[in-house]
Amino acid sequence: MDGFTATIWIVRLVFLALLYLFLFGIARALLRDLSAASREPTTELGRLVVLASPAGEPAPGSTLALDAITTLGRDVNNAIVVDDQFASAQHAVLTFRGRTWYVEDLNSTNGTFVNGQPVDGVVPIGYGDEIQLGQVRFRLERPRR
Amino acid sequence: MAQRSVARSIAHVGLALTLAFGVLAAGAGYWQVVRSEELSRAPENPAVAVAAASVVRGEIIDRHGNVLATNAKYAKGGSYRVYNDRAIAPVVGYASRQHGSAGLELSFGAELTGLSDSDPIRNALRKFQADPYDPQTLTLSLSLTLQRAAIRGLGEDSGAVVMLDPRSGEVLVLASTPYYDSSAIANPDTEKDGWAAVADNPAQPLLTRPTQGRYTPGSIFKVVTAIAGLGSGSIEPTTTFPNQAAAEKNGLVVSGFRIKEHPGVAAKTLKLVGAMEVSSNIWFALAGLKTGGDNLTEYAEQLGFGASLPFDLPTAPSQVTDGKGSAPGGFKDDVELASAAFGQGKTFVTPLQMALVAATVANNGELMRPRLVTELTGKAGTRKIAPESIRRVISQADADAITAAMLQAVEGPLGRQFTTGAKVPGIPTAGKSGTAELGGSGEPHSWFIGFAPANDPQIAIAVLVERGGRGGARAAPLAGSLMKAYFDTVAPK
Amino acid sequence: MTASAQPLPRILGQIKPRPRWREARLLAIVAAAILAGSVSLELARHSDETAATAGFSPAEPFHLAVYLGVLVAAHLAQVLTGRRTDQVLLPAVGLLGGISLLLMERLPQDLVVQRFFGAELGLADVQLVWLVLSISIATTLAIVVRSDRWLRLYKYTWAAAGVALLLLTFVLGTEINGQRLTLSFGPISGQPSELLKVILVVFLAGYLSENRSLLVEESTQIGPIAIPPLPYLAPMVAMWAIALGIVVVQRDLGAALLFFAVFLLLLYTATARPGYVVLGVLLFLAGAFVMYQLVSHVQTRVDIWIDPWKDPAVTGYQVIQALYAFARGGLVGSGLGGGIPTTIPAVETDFPFAALGEELGLVGIMAILGLYLVVIERGLRIGAAAGDDFRSLLATGLALVVGVQAFIIAAGNLKLIPLTGITLPFISYGGSSMLVNGIVVGLLLALSDKGVEPPPAPKPPGRLARLTRRGA
Repeated sequence: MDGFTATIWIVRLVFLALLYLFLFGIARALLRDLSAASREPTTELGRLVVLASPAGEPAPGSTLALDAITTLGRDVNNAIVVDDQFASAQHAVLTFRGRTWYVEDLNSTNGTFVNGQPVDGVVPIGYGDEIQLGQVRFRLERPRR
Repeated sequence: MAQRSVARSIAHVGLALTLAFGVLAAGAGYWQVVRSEELSRAPENPAVAVAAASVVRGEIIDRHGNVLATNAKYAKGGSYRVYNDRAIAPVVGYASRQHGSAGLELSFGAELTGLSDSDPIRNALRKFQADPYDPQTLTLSLSLTLQRAAIRGLGEDSGAVVMLDPRSGEVLVLASTPYYDSSAIANPDTEKDGWAAVADNPAQPLLTRPTQGRYTPGSIFKVVTAIAGLGSGSIEPTTTFPNQAAAEKNGLVVSGFRIKEHPGVAAKTLKLVGAMEVSSNIWFALAGLKTGGDNLTEYAEQLGFGASLPFDLPTAPSQVTDGKGSAPGGFKDDVELASAAFGQGKTFVTPLQMALVAATVANNGELMRPRLVTELTGKAGTRKIAPESIRRVISQADADAITAAMLQAVEGPLGRQFTTGAKVPGIPTAGKSGTAELGGSGEPHSWFIGFAPANDPQIAIAVLVERGGRGGARAAPLAGSLMKAYFDTVAPK
Repeated sequence: MTASAQPLPRILGQIKPRPRWREARLLAIVAAAILAGSVSLELARHSDETAATAGFSPAEPFHLAVYLGVLVAAHLAQVLTGRRTDQVLLPAVGLLGGISLLLMERLPQDLVVQRFFGAELGLADVQLVWLVLSISIATTLAIVVRSDRWLRLYKYTWAAAGVALLLLTFVLGTEINGQRLTLSFGPISGQPSELLKVILVVFLAGYLSENRSLLVEESTQIGPIAIPPLPYLAPMVAMWAIALGIVVVQRDLGAALLFFAVFLLLLYTATARPGYVVLGVLLFLAGAFVMYQLVSHVQTRVDIWIDPWKDPAVTGYQVIQALYAFARGGLVGSGLGGGIPTTIPAVETDFPFAALGEELGLVGIMAILGLYLVVIERGLRIGAAAGDDFRSLLATGLALVVGVQAFIIAAGNLKLIPLTGITLPFISYGGSSMLVNGIVVGLLLALSDKGVEPPPAPKPPGRLARLTRRGA
């Protein structure tokens, strides 16, 4: 094999090798996805743990189940009745959209807070985040397996 | 929750697509690895044409070392083909930039241009070499001397001669008339005229008659009937038919149709040897009916009928019947079967096929693959192509019986009159002549097939002279003189 | 998941540059590969065996520089606008586009001649323009699209627009080879059937996501077979059948097959009922059999597929040349520029896969198949992680549109299924195809952005649904 032929074939093989380098760069992540995708789905959406509730409604320390749409407020028609003087009648709503939880403040007088930050409009929240309405504090928890 | 299962479905869809693409990869592997070798050497592969444009083709030489095809350079650079004798045109063909290629130049185009090698590893590594082409020289089993003699013998008539060695399948003569000037086509200066001389010629010189011409066989087909009858056990060499004597005189009535004998046959009962000697249509018609359509077609197929023959050049299939009938074997009725049994049904044969029939009888009932190319020589050395047996068609005992009958047909007192001139002086010669009636006016085709020496055959032959008259008129004497020429010049002493 | 108490951004919204290291690393490999490919082409120019073959044209460094520049610009645009979109999709598509460009470079430039304000553009010039436009569209959509409301809410409008477009093509289109596929306005011409497949996916995603629970839980029984509930399936099937019918009438069999396959796969994704797919496949086979008997050009295509050597000079010629090309390629190919792809008719549109098979070999072909799988996988992954059903189905549908199309044409090239006239996404020469695939990639990237507007809140089931539901 002469020099020129050797060179051209080395370059050609390098080209092919780079194509595979690209593929291997992605392979690891791809395999992780495949194993994640085959895991069983859970049936519960989420839970709220009541951290603090001075008025006693809802009971402090209790765990409340959540629907896809859960309204919170002082009015008895809410899914979770928050009996607190600083809570509005229709205070906030927790929604599960697709795969994420969102909290929305319904123009309440004193506002809704997530981890101490005021909520403006619709805000995504994650498991472990603390939500405060008036003096009542909740924590969003993962669903039971 | 129903929403989560969308993710599961997506995973299933992903799996399905991955499998589908796996199938694609397998498909690509099939074409790029499994079939790669075979497709790369196919003569229609454009890579061959590309190679031909830039490569000096390998030479073609005959069994004695005579150069049949070689190259010459022309002024502008580049080379063209030169052929040393017009007699080889049907075998070697031509290779020309303007008109493509034909004959061995076409079917072995990949080897001659050096694109393909017998060794798959060398083939795979070929692309890594600076000069990837390794043009091969082809050594043929053809004998230029005999080929010239055959062409001379056919003379002004259109016809075909095939001579082959029944023990190995090597073809020594494949002659076709009219022939043409292949050098004129390959030479860029003369290619226009050279092509015009053949392309519009009504005599069809480009038709390779030994392999592509299909003709009514006439009586030479009786050998096939004998093979089918003995092979299937339907008849014995001693079989006689009680109604034969009467039928010889008055004709044989088959399904209301009367089959008449040809002139010169006495009205008596015959066995195989006798029937072959006088070429009795009645005996063979009865033998054919007794053998049955299924057996006749089956043994014919074992001899190579019904499909292209495995050969170094393309061949047209021979047929016993057109197969459209509903009777056993595809015949329309018993009349057709009886007619086919003595070679006048809807039977069409190529001269090469009939040469193979003779060769099979000569080779103790074993059919060898016919071939022209015996060696390929390139940079890496010489590769010999070994003889290959296709199959055993009949037992040696049956072959011996038919040989005895064919021997009588050439050397017997009555047979001699039908096959005048076929005997080679001093050598026991076996054979069968045929007169293929074509209906209407005009001479019939003259046929002869045979082999010699009958006790230890070295050469088998088939001769066809179109419109040559009776078998004994042209074909038999030509066959005799060519076989004599073989023993005088080519045969090892 | 971390909380952000910031309000969600609207259009363009908050612009805060974020690094995209993964994408950068992958793009570096892409650039190296394209560079190696162009060096290989340049060396091939000087090799004896290539000089001998007609049909080789050397690479123009300017083209490759522009292309790499566009990829870098797309990357930087997403970095600067802080978009948290998928980082693998663009490099994968970029590599496919780069392979396409290398192929178009080495093919004879006069296969395509486009006049543009007096300048004459050849094959590679035009393909470069389409590639640049396609990537630009993809990047623009990735950055600008922040809400899916315009797709989600107007599905019937989209469907109507799609059918109208198709009818327009049928009535006003220019006829090429007996097919009315192209609409021309002055110098610009395009194939609306390409856009139609995206519109179809948008419609199906919207419709299936809205009626998903009903489609899953209820079915109409016909004897032992369960088919989707008729009132809900009807508009879907009608829309699809119209599209299919017109496409078949226009003799665009590849598009018909594509629509059908995507429809079935999306139906399965939404309902997870394999029975529907089985039913669909049976219907397809029945329909295909009928068409084979009745329609002559379907017959021709299938006959060529079964045995192209029956008529090697005319109908079977193209497929046979493609198979010869694959065979010549072998394991590692004859190298870029080392093959004879011009022996295949319409190699730049219908058979780039075979040309690449010859020059890159089995090794290269499997890498290209792998790249398509990467694109599909990223799309499906975006679908699996998407905000809600509509986005899931939309992303899945878009991924399928690219993946199934690539499968159909690659299988046709390899004589695994009859040949159809559709393009190989991102590799075939063709403006409409390239632009629409750019839109597809752009939408996928937009869907993958982790910082976009959340999907709308789920509606409580209405009265009609409560009444028709036979027990929960």
